[in-house]
Amino acid sequence: MTNHAHRAARFLKNEERAAWHDKTLWMVRKKRDLMALDVPDWEELREQASQIKRHSLSKLDDYLVQFEEHAINNGAQVHWASTAGKLNEIVYQIIKENNASRIVKSKSMLTEECGLNPFLEKRGIEIIDTDLGERIIQLKREPPSHIVMPAIHIKKEEISELFHRELNSEEGNTDPTYLAATARLHLRQKFIEAEVAITGVNFAVAENGAVVVCTNEGNADMGVHAAPIQIHCMGIEKVIPRLSDLAVFTRLLARSATGQPITTYTSHYLNPKPGGQMHIIIVDNGRSELIGKEDYRDSLKCIRCGACMNTCPVYRRSGGHSYHYVIPGPIGSILAPHSNSKEYEDLPFASSLCGSCSDVCPVKIDIHGQLYRWRQDLSQQGARSPIKKGIMKVSGKILASDKMYDWSGKVARWCIKYLPRVLIYNRLNTWGRERELPEVPRESFKEWYNKNFREGDKNGQK
Amino acid sequence: MRETKMDRNKILLNIQRSRIKPVNLPEPFCSAEKEGDKTILFKEMLMQTGGDCIEVNSTEELNSLLDNNFRGATDLRRNELFKNFLSYSNKDSLERLKTVILEGQFGVAENGSIWIDDSNFPNRLISFICEELVVCLDSKQIVSNMHEAYLRIDNAISGFGVFISGPSKTSDIEQHLVYGAHGAKKLVVIISHQSILE
Repeated sequence: MTNHAHRAARFLKNEERAAWHDKTLWMVRKKRDLMALDVPDWEELREQASQIKRHSLSKLDDYLVQFEEHAINNGAQVHWASTAGKLNEIVYQIIKENNASRIVKSKSMLTEECGLNPFLEKRGIEIIDTDLGERIIQLKREPPSHIVMPAIHIKKEEISELFHRELNSEEGNTDPTYLAATARLHLRQKFIEAEVAITGVNFAVAENGAVVVCTNEGNADMGVHAAPIQIHCMGIEKVIPRLSDLAVFTRLLARSATGQPITTYTSHYLNPKPGGQMHIIIVDNGRSELIGKEDYRDSLKCIRCGACMNTCPVYRRSGGHSYHYVIPGPIGSILAPHSNSKEYEDLPFASSLCGSCSDVCPVKIDIHGQLYRWRQDLSQQGARSPIKKGIMKVSGKILASDKMYDWSGKVARWCIKYLPRVLIYNRLNTWGRERELPEVPRESFKEWYNKNFREGDKNGQK
Repeated sequence: MRETKMDRNKILLNIQRSRIKPVNLPEPFCSAEKEGDKTILFKEMLMQTGGDCIEVNSTEELNSLLDNNFRGATDLRRNELFKNFLSYSNKDSLERLKTVILEGQFGVAENGSIWIDDSNFPNRLISFICEELVVCLDSKQIVSNMHEAYLRIDNAISGFGVFISGPSKTSDIEQHLVYGAHGAKKLVVIISHQSILE
């Protein structure tokens, strides 16, 4: 298995692309800043969002039941899935019962998490992702590298080539407007033919049973309103108490995500179209267990805006695929170990702990705090490499003893100064692989202090 | 489905088992209004989101504008057209819709969006599938922000309602902004400064 560091190294091999990735996401982060500064009481809004989410999580069972009741009264059918497999089965059953075979889907990280597409494809059902970025990666057979901008790792030349091959577009035409128009035409046909439309869910309102979906492209609406059957897949944590709470979240979501004041479409679905069916599938897949973990519960507040990715110095310079989990970046790194602490034990270490993710998070998740806690928990479970473990053990001894500390400093200063380069910059010194060690001072701070201020003590100085 | 009933109980039980200390739900919140004229702010934001804006001061002005600039458009503010579309579900014909005119219920100054729901269109697909969407808005019907917007809706959503802010768009190709991803390629808002649309 390759870990984050290995994959990041692969990403960084293409220097030009890596620099572009870094710069582009930083641009999105800057747009977010402008938006945040423009809203009076932005911080108060974040606090509100955090409290509403924490409250909802503390009474989640009540709100889910309330939501279900209203949704059923509105005319929707509500299903519950405790696992990923159950979600897939329910979707498959609805499709089969209606003899459907043409499915369109708008963005849903949940169905990505549950592996819905491969599940349906194995059973001979065509499922078309309709978000442009998602369609691109679907045609390319790649996972998303960002939760809001799934194809941010791909350049227009590659898209042009892909569309030429798959959609018969003009060879060598890399104009984004032309490429988007090609996709529009191609997907229009899919929308019109579709019998079932699947969407994710941004928010579910307990007090009226509404399912809210936010998109810029309008693909969720094109699908839902054109197909006779609509299916909305939501994690249990998506439910919020009141319609008025939506004001708080819709004000935060797009500003944090892409630096827009609101998404182009904020759609509220309450009942099926005349003669249609509306299904809502409520999915757990490990979430209810996470509620019980006090240290990590807050990660369920996440509204999937992606701001933590755009700001993260590690994400920007390593790309979403190096995280090898369905949700990349800082938030993904605290969610991933819950699903498999062995497979994703490297992810909480893929961070500088600078805390920028927590600062931009619209619902105030202490992301870097959780990353730090995961490191401790995972280390106790033996996640560290033997080398790191050895280093830590020795460092602990040295740092605990005055004499050892002074002596080892002397030795290190001498070594760096006099040993030949090959001995210092060897395989064991991973830090020195990309960097130069600092120039060695003549003496330690302690020595310098003793020499210069010892007498000062006598004069009453400290 | 009996199967999902079992899952329902399992999920709810699991949540109850890890029940956490109650946390208070904050009172509905309303942040400070931005200073300045709401209509001007609305226009600014609408333009920022890629929408076009035309202002009129009288019924005559509106009619002649629609006549000159949007001749042949499907004006769903007219009752007979609205009714015609009610039982209309032929997607292929809807796909040929060029310009559609609707009445917007209210606008939101902070983000240039407009609220419409089932009462404004006879078929939910129309405002997404048409090429160009024209929304008429009474200048008195502009609220400051989303807090006021949801107060205004007050849980009276018929079955489907949507805030629309500008034309459909995507930046999925190298963050290059393109209008007309899937929905309407163009959005025009006609702001009437007189309550002429009753």
